[in-house]
Amino acid sequence: MEQQPGAVWVVVEQNGGILAEVTLELLGKARDLAALGGGAHASAVLLGSKIESLAEELIAHGADQVILMDAPRLTLYQNDTYALVLAELVKKHRPEIVLFGASYYGSELSATVAAKLETGLAAHCLDLYINDRGEFVQVVPAFGGMILGDILCPTARPQLASVKPGMFQKPDRDTTRSGETLIETPTVLEGYASPLKAVRVVQSQPAGLPLEKAATVVAGGWGVGQEAWHFLDQLAGELSGAVGCTRPALDEGWAAGEHAMIGTSGKTVRPQVYIGFGVSGATHHMAGMKDSGVIININKDPAATVFQVSDYGVVADAKELLPVLLEKIREYKGKSKSQATIKCIQ
Amino acid sequence: MNIAVCVKPVPEPRHYDKIIINPATKLLERKGIPMIINPVDKNAIEAALQLKEQFGGKVVLVSMAPPDTRETIKEGLAMGADEAYLLSDRAFAGADTLATARVLAAGLTKIGGLDLILTGSASADGGTNHIPSQLGELMGFAHLNHLTELHLEASTIKMKTKIENGYVEYEGSLPLVLGVARELNTPRYTTLMGVVIAQNKPFTTWGLKDLGLDPSNTGLSGSPTQPGDLHMPQHGQKAQMFAGEPEDMAGKIIAILRTAGVLD
Amino acid sequence: MLKLSEQQELLRKVVRDFVENELAPIAQKIHEEDTCPVELFQKMGQLGFNGVFVPAKYGGTGLGFTEQAIILEEIGRHSAGFAATLVAHYMGVFAILNWGSEEQKEKYLPLLCSGAFGGFSITEPGGGSDFAGLQATGKLDDGEWVLNGRKCFITNSHCMGVNVMNVNTGVDAKGRPQISVFIIEGSAPGHTPGRKEKKAGLRGSYTGEVILNNVRLPQSNLLGQPGDGAKISLGTLGVMGRGGTAATSLGILRACLEESVKFAKERVIYGRPLSKLPNIQFLIAQNRTDYEAARLLTYNAMGMKDAGLPNTAEISMAKFFAAEAAVNAAKRTMDLMGGYGLVTDYPVSRYLLDAMGTIPCCGTSHIMQVIIAGEELRK
Repeated sequence: MEQQPGAVWVVVEQNGGILAEVTLELLGKARDLAALGGGAHASAVLLGSKIESLAEELIAHGADQVILMDAPRLTLYQNDTYALVLAELVKKHRPEIVLFGASYYGSELSATVAAKLETGLAAHCLDLYINDRGEFVQVVPAFGGMILGDILCPTARPQLASVKPGMFQKPDRDTTRSGETLIETPTVLEGYASPLKAVRVVQSQPAGLPLEKAATVVAGGWGVGQEAWHFLDQLAGELSGAVGCTRPALDEGWAAGEHAMIGTSGKTVRPQVYIGFGVSGATHHMAGMKDSGVIININKDPAATVFQVSDYGVVADAKELLPVLLEKIREYKGKSKSQATIKCIQ
Repeated sequence: MNIAVCVKPVPEPRHYDKIIINPATKLLERKGIPMIINPVDKNAIEAALQLKEQFGGKVVLVSMAPPDTRETIKEGLAMGADEAYLLSDRAFAGADTLATARVLAAGLTKIGGLDLILTGSASADGGTNHIPSQLGELMGFAHLNHLTELHLEASTIKMKTKIENGYVEYEGSLPLVLGVARELNTPRYTTLMGVVIAQNKPFTTWGLKDLGLDPSNTGLSGSPTQPGDLHMPQHGQKAQMFAGEPEDMAGKIIAILRTAGVLD
Repeated sequence: MLKLSEQQELLRKVVRDFVENELAPIAQKIHEEDTCPVELFQKMGQLGFNGVFVPAKYGGTGLGFTEQAIILEEIGRHSAGFAATLVAHYMGVFAILNWGSEEQKEKYLPLLCSGAFGGFSITEPGGGSDFAGLQATGKLDDGEWVLNGRKCFITNSHCMGVNVMNVNTGVDAKGRPQISVFIIEGSAPGHTPGRKEKKAGLRGSYTGEVILNNVRLPQSNLLGQPGDGAKISLGTLGVMGRGGTAATSLGILRACLEESVKFAKERVIYGRPLSKLPNIQFLIAQNRTDYEAARLLTYNAMGMKDAGLPNTAEISMAKFFAAEAAVNAAKRTMDLMGGYGLVTDYPVSRYLLDAMGTIPCCGTSHIMQVIIAGEELRK
């Protein structure tokens, strides 16, 4: 008798009752993979304490099933306790695929679980798909994103993958969806003394709109130069967007910091509009922005590689165009009397 | 205190733009790129040397790599480590992180008597972040990755690890496997005398048989994941191009922004 | 086939790591400001660069002249000006190591190995290579030497820790000027820096006057015997000065090669990188060949010195060739870069000025040719 394939799991990441964006992105992908034969259905695995209210939200974002383990012992993430309970759940339910967000937690937890189960794990995946032979293909970056490699996991199950945030579209929230919630208890932790103790978590929100959430990303590259860089900030202000940069602009110290860098070794953005100034089109930068809605690039070199991923290309010197564009936009907004509001991706 | 630092020889990251995929063989070509110790592994060596200076003991380097990386690993001895173990065998080739962790765990177990195992949080070439956690699991030691602070007091170790926009404080005790983040310290420069002394420090090479490993657990055949095709990041669509006076171009851009719905 | 040992290759890697992290980022700045990065030099002392060929018992690393050349090539790759600081330092160290008494070596070498700047002073306003015509004097007074005079073009003049000084101490038995050498601590009363030169090239090192105004020194500060000046100075200039300058020029050659390759690959003209054009490839081939030739000459000469073989002609050839080749390569690289070559955002105009600066150091190309021909004709 042929065995039924297991489910596609998404290990939920939540912080103080707020679901991580990457978890929602992965739920959409998990459902797609399940539909293409990657697994029976999409399940969200929710671990924590006093988090049962999140189950509905997960179902609304695409989970067919929520496996819920709510216990005081799981209040703070620790790789040992979380990996123990996850490994037990895997052994019990035998999923086909388990997806993690490639956050600090997610990459540590996925590696720990993979070692416990002695199964395969692909790290920081940029894409996941089922190929024409029915195999689950995991596309991973190597050499700082200069090279991409396909990873397969032919025999070991489940197939584990951690996925970079921002790689997949977050599904629309649909409160009419229904799904089952399966309550599990962490019996494996009974009598288990943890050798480590997470004492406290300290987090601060960075100032301004995070790049990944901006509806408009204004990106600057080498062609902008130090003198004209401030125009990018002003332009982003006018468009209620955020400023991103390329690696050379970061290295030169023009950009605000590492959190602004777009590319395979930095942020992956998919805003409604990406508008790049003086960006040449290094492959690792383009990998971080190519899925943006509308891509506009301004470069004085008509043969610049970046035009290959652009919807609109403007052949002009970014330094000269920036102040003119800024003035025109201010003029236009003055006429339309619109109010600046912060816009996020819906 | 006896500390092992797992190090990986990697092609120097500043040359990664020179790496290409040979169109005929589909294999990576990285000819002429110098090999170095994975940069963040040097932070792990630095941490080990500081602990040795504080508490005594010895620092050993352990690496699973081809035999021609011997000279690269020697730089770690020149930095101040006491001994090096190179785990090298044809049967180790093509290993994924789990199969690599098995070989490292076997080497570390054979060395024995270790209180602490340090390594870089990720390698510059593969960049998975897996080794610290997988090594910890296989060794049966508690483990943490992305370590940014480490304070060893009497019997308690206080640590901080990096997370998005913040950190987590941990307490634990030895033995431990820790994946070190760049923020932990600044690796010392190697002195020229260190280079001289390194030539006479013990350097041991162990193969499959020395480690008592089964070849079906190592290398490509012992790896649950298998590599498929390689690609360069691909792009290719045709943009609608404009050129002209800045005022006209600004007008065009405003029209596009309005159509896209980001400018009311 | 010239091959460096594994230890020498590791040493190069270690030096390069330091230089790329600490010197490369400030190379253009120290050139523009014409300042010597004193703290960097002191850090190098802690790492063993400054006494690389000094035996360990005097605080050095106990290696040789090949290693000294590796260090200077790596430093010269990013700042030939700062390399000039180290060449002058090495000259002072070399003189004390070779001609100093045990007491002098024990007193001064540990200082010089650990961060104090060394220097070697010959040249005077009256003339460059006119050794016998030195005007600065040393006279015995009440059992002490009293030095007076003015030296110019002295590298490390304004950061001097230990200066090795050539002065006229009278006439010998044959009535010829007697030149003697003294070790003077930079802080000695009467030993002061004078005017600091504003150089066009080799900036990033202090070069200027040293003034001797009744500097009183005990007998124990005399290096060698009275009248040893010619021997010490020619020996020091010949091996340390010229060998060191050859290695510095070699660094400039590598800088030109690397910058020309980088530019040719990155710069796109009519849709193709410059590197696809045959005439650009010719320039790169010339840079590569010049670097290779200078490398072979320099390390071969240093290897001969390390092996204790006669090396006067070989070191002079290395210095002659490397300095001239560096000038040619820098000009060629500027040609390759077109207008960008002249822009100081790119370092190549600095390389040209620095390469020009290495020609007069420790004997011009004409003097090198006189020495080489002399060696050849004597056979």
